[in-house]
Amino acid sequence: MVSGPLRGVRILDLTHVWAGPLAVRFMADLGGEVVKVEAPYGRGPRVFPSEPIGGWMGGAPGTEPWNANALFTKLHRNRRSLCVDLKQREGRALLLDLVRVSDVLIENFSARVMDSMELDFATLQAANERLIAVSMPGYGLSGPYRDRVAFGPTVEPLSGLSHMLGYDEQSPRNSAMALMDPIGATHAAGAVLTALRRRRQSGRGCRVEMSLHEGGVCFSGPWLLERQLGGDPRCEGNRHPMMAPHGMFRCRGDDQWLALACADDAQWTALSDMLGLDATLDLSARQAAAAQIDAAIEQWTMAREKHEAVGLLQAAGISAGPVNTTPDMVTDSQVRARNYFVTYEQFDVPMPGNPIRMQGLDSTQWQRCPRLGEHNAEVLEDWLGLDAGQAKELASQGVLHDRPPG
Amino acid sequence: MVECTGQRSLDRVLEIGGYAAGYCGRLFVRAGADVVRLDDGTPDPAWASSHAMDLFLHAGKRRVASADVDLIARLAARADVVICAANSADEIDQLRFDEWGAPVKVAITPYGRTGPKRNWQATPNVILAAGGYTNLVGDADKAPLSLPGHYLEFQTGALAYAGANACRLAGQVNSVDLSMLESLMSLSQFTTVRWHCVGEERSRHGSDFWFVVPSELFRCADGWAYVNVVPAFWDSFTVFVERPDLLLDPRFENNDLRMQNRDALHEIVASALCDVPKAQLVARAEQCRVPVGVVMDFDEVLQDPHLRARGFWESVRNGAGESLVSPGLPYILTDEVRPDLSAQQSVEAGAVQW
Repeated sequence: MVSGPLRGVRILDLTHVWAGPLAVRFMADLGGEVVKVEAPYGRGPRVFPSEPIGGWMGGAPGTEPWNANALFTKLHRNRRSLCVDLKQREGRALLLDLVRVSDVLIENFSARVMDSMELDFATLQAANERLIAVSMPGYGLSGPYRDRVAFGPTVEPLSGLSHMLGYDEQSPRNSAMALMDPIGATHAAGAVLTALRRRRQSGRGCRVEMSLHEGGVCFSGPWLLERQLGGDPRCEGNRHPMMAPHGMFRCRGDDQWLALACADDAQWTALSDMLGLDATLDLSARQAAAAQIDAAIEQWTMAREKHEAVGLLQAAGISAGPVNTTPDMVTDSQVRARNYFVTYEQFDVPMPGNPIRMQGLDSTQWQRCPRLGEHNAEVLEDWLGLDAGQAKELASQGVLHDRPPG
Repeated sequence: MVECTGQRSLDRVLEIGGYAAGYCGRLFVRAGADVVRLDDGTPDPAWASSHAMDLFLHAGKRRVASADVDLIARLAARADVVICAANSADEIDQLRFDEWGAPVKVAITPYGRTGPKRNWQATPNVILAAGGYTNLVGDADKAPLSLPGHYLEFQTGALAYAGANACRLAGQVNSVDLSMLESLMSLSQFTTVRWHCVGEERSRHGSDFWFVVPSELFRCADGWAYVNVVPAFWDSFTVFVERPDLLLDPRFENNDLRMQNRDALHEIVASALCDVPKAQLVARAEQCRVPVGVVMDFDEVLQDPHLRARGFWESVRNGAGESLVSPGLPYILTDEVRPDLSAQQSVEAGAVQW
């Protein structure tokens, strides 16, 4: 367990993929006492058909590839692992026993999975009326799209974002970054905290329903209101409706770029002084001359390495920054000065830190991602008072596992 | 288990500064908090008009127009939570943030309150670039694309909300230093671990997710549709595109082979979908249980029957008193009714009786 304001809040984590595990990571980093309830095949089979998307910890699958998935590892620090087969009646009974002594259960299955496992909200609430049960289905638990198959990239086009993303309005783009997932994650964490605080008043838990789709639509809110006010927001590539210049500018080197924006007239004056441009242009004049201004900026940036150019622009008080590649990100001077990436994992792989910095949090306490089922006996003893023999018996019955079957 | 300490549920929240603070305050309003926003001058440039931004962010808040540092300190002394977004660490210091008496204070800045770049000038496109997002968005042979909209600010605001509520839950007196850059970096998927574990940089490939094939935006008869065929859906996808013969095609036997034969497969899928209307694609996807999403413009989003059926929209009023819809919270707590919010209310400082 790590210290933090959520210390003592018991969280059962049944999540998978990205949105759910990231939501739980935020809560675990704040001190939540998390048990990852994992299916025997929750991390994949014993033999992986191919390298996982984030690679293997240490560069190779090793003897336990299901425990070496780098992306899974990144998302699952600060929690214990209980591997239980919920397809078995005894497994579900065990989960309900854990529910009775927990504060939060969070899952991001599709809308019908919990019901199909006879773990519907009514059943969970009957086990513990103080439980906060969080569901994160792609389109929510009701409505005509409820049973659509949803992944972040396929939900994004329904949010309005794809309509605005691209080089021109004829060819929309998808971010290909599954942005609905991290939106769901941050809001699920906030929703759990809201529910925990309400429980203090009511003494009762509740269901929290987080729709990835609605998270994305919410972020399009300003555009949706603008549309109703008679506006017509359209894709403008890298340009901005209220800043000019605003864009990405090629620098010296292969595919090297910097981002620049003049947020106000003062920044434009500074930039025009540097580049010999007309300092008297106001925003609308700059927008009208955007192509010429952008060309002048790029002529200047292409003669310079991106970090050098950014340094000169910042010295003049202009908003600019490098378009960081991955190695740039992890070696950025600001990131290093604040020790944002943390090396608590095996092989010293640096992992993204907790952005919510406050007194009482200490990343030196962080615990590595557990192995599958690593804490089966420990969790059952700590939370349910079962002894080692009982845990062993459950393992022999095939209810508990510490490796994928097969 | 967490024990009840009899804490008051209705927080007094003082909100100061940019859109990240505004979004955080928006979440507090919907949790029942009494949110007072201090407007300290010209708003930051936005992706929509100031009227639209106000309606979206500030409905249900009281607003005081003032940049008076002493007034801020007086209100902060009576607030439970202060959320302050500023353009640099020095701006936070100049507001005398550390002297404010509120038990929970959140400082939001582009780079954080410490470090060599704490006072760098930054707009959202600069942070999106520094945080690794921009390099991944857009076409390989073109400039990287900066995300339009306020993703960065709203995500930071959501994290501020989580941090502030965690402190309130624990009854802590605490101060949060929230960097927008670090917030963004915490929301990267596998970029850095892939670099460290595989030694490969993730790069941009248009709308193609790249590691799963096909995962791409395809043109259809009346628009665009994104398909994301993770391996478990390959069999049903061949039915969706009415090409069951693909199941027997050795070029596409598994995802690795589909990656190797990406262009050929994309050509087949493009051909299969180009004459099919969006509505028919969606119906087919539902029937075959394949992950597909069609691109919607804002009129379509506003008319989306699913959102309407779920009661997603809140009602707000514009300056003429006309009723408009605004997105509700993306989460629902049991028994909660989504609110009907009036537009924000401008008040004199003296009217805030905390």
